[in-house]
Formats: sequence, C-alpha cells, structure tokens
Amino acid sequence: MGIKWFTHILLLAGVVSASTGFAAQINGRSSTQLIWFNDYYSGRQVELVEYLRLSVTKIDEAGKFSLYGYGRGSQDLNNGDGLNGRLYYLYADYRGLFDKVDFRLGRQFVNNSAGTALVDGGQIDLRNIGPIGFNVFGGRDVVFGINGEAGHSGNYAMGLSAYLSGFRNTDLDVSWFRKWDDGDVSRDILGASFKQYLFNRLKLYGNARYDVTAEVFNEVLGGVKYFPMANLIFTGEWYQSYPTFDTTSIYSVFAVNRYQEGVFRVDYTINDMIAVNAGYSRQDYGDDGIANVYELGCRLHPISSVEIGLAYDKRNGYGGKLDGGQLDVAWDVTKGLQLSGGLTYDVYQRDFYLDGSSRETAQKYWLGGKYKLARNLQASLRVEDAITARDESDINGRFVLDYDF
Amino acid sequence: MRKWLMFTMLLAMAALYSRQATAERKENHKDYASSSIAECSSCHKGEGVAPNHDSDWVRGHRLVAQKPGRNCNDCHDQAFCLDCHTGGGIDTSPSNQTFRRDYKPKSHRSDFLEIHPIKAMDNPQSCTRCHSEQKFCIECHERFRANDLQFQSHRRQFSDIQLSNVGPKHEGFSATQCQSCHPGGMLPTHKWSADHAVEARRNLQACQTCHSEGDVCMRCHSARTGLKVSPHPRNWDSVKGNYRDKSNGRSCVKCHDHF
Repeated sequence: MGIKWFTHILLLAGVVSASTGFAAQINGRSSTQLIWFNDYYSGRQVELVEYLRLSVTKIDEAGKFSLYGYGRGSQDLNNGDGLNGRLYYLYADYRGLFDKVDFRLGRQFVNNSAGTALVDGGQIDLRNIGPIGFNVFGGRDVVFGINGEAGHSGNYAMGLSAYLSGFRNTDLDVSWFRKWDDGDVSRDILGASFKQYLFNRLKLYGNARYDVTAEVFNEVLGGVKYFPMANLIFTGEWYQSYPTFDTTSIYSVFAVNRYQEGVFRVDYTINDMIAVNAGYSRQDYGDDGIANVYELGCRLHPISSVEIGLAYDKRNGYGGKLDGGQLDVAWDVTKGLQLSGGLTYDVYQRDFYLDGSSRETAQKYWLGGKYKLARNLQASLRVEDAITARDESDINGRFVLDYDF
Repeated sequence: MRKWLMFTMLLAMAALYSRQATAERKENHKDYASSSIAECSSCHKGEGVAPNHDSDWVRGHRLVAQKPGRNCNDCHDQAFCLDCHTGGGIDTSPSNQTFRRDYKPKSHRSDFLEIHPIKAMDNPQSCTRCHSEQKFCIECHERFRANDLQFQSHRRQFSDIQLSNVGPKHEGFSATQCQSCHPGGMLPTHKWSADHAVEARRNLQACQTCHSEGDVCMRCHSARTGLKVSPHPRNWDSVKGNYRDKSNGRSCVKCHDHF
C-alpha cells in the first residue's frame, strides 16, 4: 500500500510542479542500497532497497506552498520475503496564510507534549495572533509493523495545543492527545511542558503527561541545566513514569510500579581537540529494584581530518550487570574520501541466564568508507562482524549509492 | 478581590502581547543545519541550542522536539526524526548501524539481541516509543521457551520444584497428572506467584511482549474462573468507570460478566 501511495504522489508532484509553471524547485536524494545480513531464524538474506526523499518547493510565487515525501521500497533477493514498502511521510505544506496560518495535509509525523503519532491527515498551526499560538492535528493513525503497516480499522489520532509564542527565554505549552482503536477511545492524555532560561546560564525545564483514563501522571520530568560557559554544561534531572496502556488492552487494568530515575551529567568541550562527558543515573523500579549507571565519553580531534569517539558505561543492579562501550574513528583522507572504523565491546551478566553461566561478552567490529564520485553522487560501504555467545561470527554489510538532485 | 484579579490578568496579557509584538522574527535556519555545535553556541548560548544538542541529546531531545511551532523543522527535514522513530536510513553514514533495512540508534550498540535484556531495563518506556507495535518483540520472543527467558518467574516454575528433599522434580509429570495429587487445586501457587507479581509490576510491558492478549494472566486474574485474584491498582474504584466508558467495556468483558 505504501508503495502505491508513494508512486501516486510522485506522479502528482510531477504534475503539480509542471502545471504551476517553471518556478517549482525539486530537490531530494535517491539512495540505492544493497544490504546483506543474517536473519536470526531465516538465515542469510540479501536485499535491494531504494530510498527516496524529495521536496518540491517554490510551487507558488511567494514560495509558501511545498510538497515533501520520503519512502522506501525493498526487494528480498534470496529468502522469499518479496517486495516491501514503507511510506514515512508525504504531505503538502502551506506556510503563512495571512502570515498567521500554516497547513499540512497528508501523511506526516505529528507531536505535542501529550503524545506522538504518524497520521494520514492534517495539521494546522495558528500563530502571530498574540502571545499564544494554537496547533491542531488529526487523522488516521498509521502503525508500522516489521513488514508494512499494522494498524487496525478505526485507528485515529488527534491533538490540540496552546503555547506561548514569541518569547525568547520562555516556552510553555499545554496540550491534549487522543487515540481511537476501532472507534473506541484507547488513549486520552493531557500534557504540558515548559522551559525557562535565567541569567543567560541556567535553563529550567519540565514536562508532564497525565493519563485522563487512569487518572495518574504517566510521565513527569523536571530538570535544570547550568552552563556557566557555552562549552560547559551541568545537567540534573528527575524523571518518573507510570506505564499505562491502551484502554482496549487487558493490560490497562493491571497494577504497575512507578519507575523513577535521577540523572547527573556534565559535558565539557575543553577546546577544538577534546570534548568530554560523564554521567550518573540512579534507577528505581519499585519493590527494592535499584540500578546504577555510570557513563564516560569523549570526542577527540587530534588533527582536523581525524575524529575519534569513545563511550563507556557501566551498569549494575536490577536486571544484571553491563560493562562496555564503543570506539569509532573517522578520517577524511581527501575532500572526497572518508575512511572510518570502530568497535563495541560489552561484558554482561544477567541476573538469570539460560545455561547457568554468568559472564558473557558481545563484540562488534566495523569498517566503512565513503567516496564522492561527483558533486551529487556518493558511494559508501560498511561491513561489520559481531561475535557473541550465540555466533562466532555474524557478518552484515551494506553498499550505498546516493544521488542528490 | 475579583477586580484585582481581573486587573492583574489584563496587565499580564498586555505585557505578554507587547513582548510578543516586539520579539524578533525567527530567521530561516536551514542553511545552518550542518554547522558545528560550537558555531551554534556562539549565537545561541542563551537560547539553549547548544545545551539541547549535547552528548545526552538522545535522551533529552524529547522536550525540544515536542515544542509547538515545529522547532526541529527550523533545521531538519522530517526524515531526520523518522530515520530513528520508524527506522529509515537515507542519510546513514558508515558509522551508523542498521538492523536489516532499518536505521538503528546508537543506544543499540554491540549485538543488541545479546544485551537488550539488560539495556531495555533502563527506562522501560523508552523501548515502546519506537517499538509500539508488539509484533516487533513477539517475532523473536514467541520462539523461546518460557524457561529460556531471563525472568525469574519463568525460570522457577513447578517443574523445578521437588516433591520432597529426596523426591523427583515435578518435571517428571505431565500436566494431565496434576489433578491426581492436587484435586481441585490451582497449581501456580508456589514461589512463582510472588516473583511474577513483582516482575509484572516493574515492567508489565515485557509481559505483553509474549502474552499480547493476556490469556495466561486471566487464568488466575479473571473474575469468572481460577483463583479470581484482582489485578487492579489501588485507585481502581475511582477509575474503572473511565475504562468502561472509553473502551466501551471491551477490556471489562474479558474477565467480568457484568460491567
């Protein structure tokens, strides 16, 4: 279905751009990819995938009307999975009607502080009418499964928000989000978020979602960022969630624990060559389930053409222990050629393990390269090998040819 | 008192409006989309552009992204969001991983099949933001035997329990033989019961992965049959009407004759 839609709209875009004169500008990227991997159950799989993203702008004289699309089609070459497609978005966008109204119509990603959805529908933004702006969206709720769409009949989503507009240091909004499943209301959420900058070095922020059906706050976030300099950021956060489910799911009637998390982090860009970060999180799952997570990372530029990234974290507590991280290196050999590589290494110990053994490792090594064949044509290759308790070697890869137009 | 309140509100509205009226219009930022964070900081330190794009961006970007007025859209195409959120990959650089044909965020480092039972514990909500469709999890999980999974409750089933200190384990018996020793009894009343309750309360979404319709739960938690153990939260009396009205009683009738 996704492929049909995408093809139709591509044709429509061509017609629109042709029919509205010669001003329309079409830009985008075609990415043709050959990927190969081991499906855990079906064995070796090779696929040919075509991604297409395009934008048609300046359709009208004022440049307010545009079309945007993004989708993919894939053909399995050896395992019988056949042809698959996915349309991510395809919408017409009109900005600045009377300098006050923006419209979007078509498949699009929509979100407000109460919820998120991919809809086949519309979105209207009313702005420049004073200190408060309004946003409304709604349409058919699009749900993707592994292969194609997995929505049910009667899946709809809609949202409303009112927000402060035009304030340099303050953001505040309140919103409402509702979903339907087969005509019944499956989600009903109120949301709010705010952000306030103070003294040019402090940021306070928060977000809350209230499940109207369960009458609980299912997510609350409060945080503060202190940045005495633009290159040094201290973060302190508290977050809690209380899982809620669609009203149409039997799980919506079950008691659950509140999850809480406290976070402290620091990010420091020391100079053009070194940036470091460190963090600590304490997680509380209720019923005495506690875990601690420690993180360290850095990004290095020993010379301008080389970038090295290192990340390490250590977790212990409820669920098990995990100790590991990753390294990646990118080298711009010439203006058109980049070589890169990296590895991940994890040592873990689950609370309970299949065969009674307690300590395992998971490793992954990868090499890649990117070469600019022309100003608008680029080829890249990535090959990776994973070594785990399950596989001595699991080689995956992809070859990509990107054409920008 | 009311007059003062009205006066204060009018004053606040006027102040808000004058600030909005004098605020600078936002510049089109598309041209700066590929700028380094340091370059962004030089202009926007006070607006928090840099603090929004620090090393913790993956965890913290939700608040920025949900700001009305299409905040992200100032610099990014919608493809930038959807590459992670629904698994695209058109701008994938060699350093990005992919899972089959889908883009894979950096949180899924190493071989995620191996480490996700631990990694997925960190903020259980974060998994369902991308993997809202349970089939994603079920495709793998339903192929495991329950005893092969990590959960304590699934590792300690009646089959592990010995009849006595020296007796055989229950695994030597089939399900059809239960009633000969436990006439009229409901069986899952051993240590398993306590463990499964704790695990379910901590991460009920994990249960839904394999028991999508909750049938196994209802063997004991139905109001009609079995042990008839109530699974409801403490505030159930005040909210049950909400569920009944909104879902048209779809969930209620799974366990109750009347609602």
